[in-house]
Amino acid sequence: MSTQTSTQTDTDLGRGIAPTAPRRGGGLGQGRSAAGFLAPFVILYLLFVIGPTIYGLLLSFTNASLVKPGLNGFAGFGNYGEALGSGDFWSSLWHTLWFTILTTPPLVILGFVLALLANRLGRGRWFFRLAFFAPYVLPSAVVALIWLWLYTPALGLLDTALAKVGMTPPSWLGDAAWAMPSLAITTVWWTLGFNFVLYLAGLQEIPRDLYEAAAMDGAGPWQQIRSITIPMLGRTTTLVAVLQVIASLKVFDQMYLMTQGGPNFATRSILQLVYDEGFTNFRVGYAAAVSMLFFIVVLAVSAVWFTLVRRQEKVV
Amino acid sequence: MTNNPVTWSRRRLLGTAAAAIGLGASGVLSGCSSVAGGLGAERDTGTLDFWNLFGGGDGVRMQQMLDAYQQGHPEIELAAVTLAWGNPYYTKLSLATVGDRPPEVAISHLTRMKNLVRADLLEELLPDDLARHGMTPDKFNQRAWEAGLVDGKAYAIPIDTHPFVMFYNTDICQEAGLLDASGKLKPLDGETAFIDAMTAAKQVTGGFGGALAFVSETSTPWRMFQSFYSQLGGQMLADDGNRVVIDDAKATQVLEFMQGLTRDGLFPNPIDYQGSIAMFANGETGFFFQGEWEITTFQTAKLPFSMTLFPNVFGGGTYAVQADSHTFVLPKQPHRDQARLDRSLTFVRSMLDQSKTWTEGGHVPLWLPFAESSEFAQMSPQSNYASAADSAAYDADGWYSGSGSNFEIITGSAIADVLAGASSPQQAIAQMRGNLEQLAGTASPL
Amino acid sequence: MTSTTVDTGVTMERIHSREKLFNRICAGVLIAFALLWLVPLAWAVDTALKPNEETTRTTWLIDSPTFDAFTRTFRDTDMLSWYGASFIISSLTAIGVVIVASLAAFAISRMRFRYKNLVFWGILAGIMIPGQVLIVPWFREFDAINLLNTYWAVILPQLPAAIAVFIFKQFFDGLPRDLEEAARMDGASFFRVYRRIVLPLARPAVAAVAIFTFVTTWNDLLWPLLVLSNPDLMTVPVGLATVQGAFGIRYADTMASAILGAIPLVAVFLLFQRQIVQGIAGSGLKG
Repeated sequence: MSTQTSTQTDTDLGRGIAPTAPRRGGGLGQGRSAAGFLAPFVILYLLFVIGPTIYGLLLSFTNASLVKPGLNGFAGFGNYGEALGSGDFWSSLWHTLWFTILTTPPLVILGFVLALLANRLGRGRWFFRLAFFAPYVLPSAVVALIWLWLYTPALGLLDTALAKVGMTPPSWLGDAAWAMPSLAITTVWWTLGFNFVLYLAGLQEIPRDLYEAAAMDGAGPWQQIRSITIPMLGRTTTLVAVLQVIASLKVFDQMYLMTQGGPNFATRSILQLVYDEGFTNFRVGYAAAVSMLFFIVVLAVSAVWFTLVRRQEKVV
Repeated sequence: MTNNPVTWSRRRLLGTAAAAIGLGASGVLSGCSSVAGGLGAERDTGTLDFWNLFGGGDGVRMQQMLDAYQQGHPEIELAAVTLAWGNPYYTKLSLATVGDRPPEVAISHLTRMKNLVRADLLEELLPDDLARHGMTPDKFNQRAWEAGLVDGKAYAIPIDTHPFVMFYNTDICQEAGLLDASGKLKPLDGETAFIDAMTAAKQVTGGFGGALAFVSETSTPWRMFQSFYSQLGGQMLADDGNRVVIDDAKATQVLEFMQGLTRDGLFPNPIDYQGSIAMFANGETGFFFQGEWEITTFQTAKLPFSMTLFPNVFGGGTYAVQADSHTFVLPKQPHRDQARLDRSLTFVRSMLDQSKTWTEGGHVPLWLPFAESSEFAQMSPQSNYASAADSAAYDADGWYSGSGSNFEIITGSAIADVLAGASSPQQAIAQMRGNLEQLAGTASPL
Repeated sequence: MTSTTVDTGVTMERIHSREKLFNRICAGVLIAFALLWLVPLAWAVDTALKPNEETTRTTWLIDSPTFDAFTRTFRDTDMLSWYGASFIISSLTAIGVVIVASLAAFAISRMRFRYKNLVFWGILAGIMIPGQVLIVPWFREFDAINLLNTYWAVILPQLPAAIAVFIFKQFFDGLPRDLEEAARMDGASFFRVYRRIVLPLARPAVAAVAIFTFVTTWNDLLWPLLVLSNPDLMTVPVGLATVQGAFGIRYADTMASAILGAIPLVAVFLLFQRQIVQGIAGSGLKG
């Protein structure tokens, strides 16, 4: 920017002439006020993000307990060894992945299809946004209460409806095989609106004349979708999918509220393992180690995202 | 330019909305001093927060007792909170105490209380303080009082023992010829007597003999196992939970017996908690095995039923039954305060004095002034199984043990697999041992 | 050439009717899904308006509709103080995030200083650290500074929101600079430029960040669940999560409490739909 070079010289001159001038800019002066602007964020960031990250890492090498002061002795890699050798860790990691696998495809595909339909329709978009997005703003506790009621054996709406059409409903949350799919259904209902909105925004950025040109060439709606919409939404899809995967990895609320990780731990997610070990069993050191392992998983997924985005940007 | 009116009206709408929300909030604020508490203000004195884990019929009765207390002490601001029971309850209680905002008084299971003590979260109850409120050890059932001591010190005041019991449908048992002349169930001691009774009941109902919940349910199978296993004299853990000492022979014997019940169609398979209640309530089974608290359910259902001690199938001369006790505990406050302590102990004493109300819910009273009274002796069916308190087999000590704990989940789910026919007794024992040894080998965080 | 023109005319007509049919199918599918999506909410409202005894008969019809369940919820729970807690925590967090993040973003967008790239990337790295990973050290930290069971324990960790800095920076970068430069020439301080020129122009970003922070803070469960253990301090989700067991099988009461828990956010959603949606679309797509 041309002005910035001029201010540079400005200050050099100004220093000599008017001592009150430095706040008008220049390397040192700007540095100082920049520090002022950055200070609140940076201090909070150090206190509540960087500091705790380092502290968490430290804790993960100790036997620290929630109900004892201090670090309670170093454990070396003991906590990590225990986690990697424990069935609980791997099974909750698997539950988390299983939940991710169950929720991501329907959320991405349904979000895309419904946004596509709503975009085509043009009219009544507010209604669809209301229907699909309203659940997303609800607290998880509200969603859980509603769905616990829907899933209630025998009395719930789902069981009664299925019984009416002559089907035997499964024990939604009570059966180890059904509990996770049931949680996934609830989650799809709850968070679909987020992807719907992202896709709708993406669709509106596609220039209309592309479609018109395609229509002129005789392309039907289906061909238009295949040859224009889907490729143009590539970036949105990557974004939606990655946000979805990361959000699913962090799942806690639904399990905690609806199954408490049961039946027989069949739906305990990795975050609930952290919660159970750290705050129910008081094993803070071990919980910190599990957190760190979980962090590595999240980082790995994020890294995959970055490479995907990079590659896409090169192509586009 | 044509956009302008639209923008304006929207902006005005937003402004109005913000104002409305602000007004609403200030209304809420003025109404609730507690909200300000979250920003650092001190709490009022004269309050009494009481946490419990009682739902259903217990919750109703606890409310009656609280109302009676409140009437006698209108000056106290009593805030009773009922939380979902199990691990979440104890987590909440621990976190509140660590975070310096515990309730004045809380309910804890006796088997969970010890770990709270070891975590240094409970106030020791000094003999002088207890004596001042008339709650001396000699006024409590000895088994429960002594089981609650940690290193000889008292931290909890027990109000009941809640044993695993046997419910029976009197009509069905009458028809099956299982009642004696006075209308009481004949003893079912010994394996044969037990099986015969279940078979007889099954023939009458045309369904099943008895019901035991084990789907999505770990405590119930554990309770039956622990009752039988303790009758054989078996132990699960030793050295405060540092060693797993499962006796293979005894455990196998019990598990084979239990598996036989579902395999031979005497007990339904699969069945969950609500389902087992429904079956017994509908007369599809003659017997039902559960904690005594389900008494209210069947009284409400107007079922012809009675309750008695869980049968002594394996014990011979010695009787044992799985049980736990509800106790009152005083979580550690940031500052010790004599007035608050007395307020809390007065409250606990008031609860003990209402033992009769509490006993109506099926629990065995421990407060001797009531437990030894003729009033209790006449309470039926509660007095039928009162001796269970003296033979209570509490869950073993260990940082991961106690009612609703990981210990019960691990053992209960392995036992449930046996009942479902999904694993053999040997597999179940190996599974229990493996999982428990992992916990036993972990340094206690307490 | 002439023959093709005639041809296109016919095809266009065919395409048109085909599109009409297609659009109708689209509408049908979409409406079916939307209605399906509304069923759980409608059923919750329906249940809440029944007396408790009526809830076990699974029918949409209500013999004697009543608001009793709502009255009971207010009487038996600390719902009012939960509202208050949620409102204070969410508002303070939203305001705090806007101030802290916009200040930082302004410095990064407008000022020249050493290690600027390092600072920016350092902040961006924060997006990678999910708060859920930090619950254990946070709890110890707040225990040490005696702030457990205060609203500050919920608010403070949410304030350094790296994603908000990123959104503000993107927005500031896109603003025209002539006004600012003129102001700077007239000797206006950076703070004045930020306060008087940039922030007013950035109102859409402020609204999006504020409302989005408000909603996510309101809905947060895990961390408040850990630090707000006393019922009179709890936020709405924590309160609902904690007392749900206590309701037992009173379905009407349970649904009434769920609806009461939902109302404030549904209101926020209806009022600020555009901002919320923009917040999602904006933060996401530009990433």
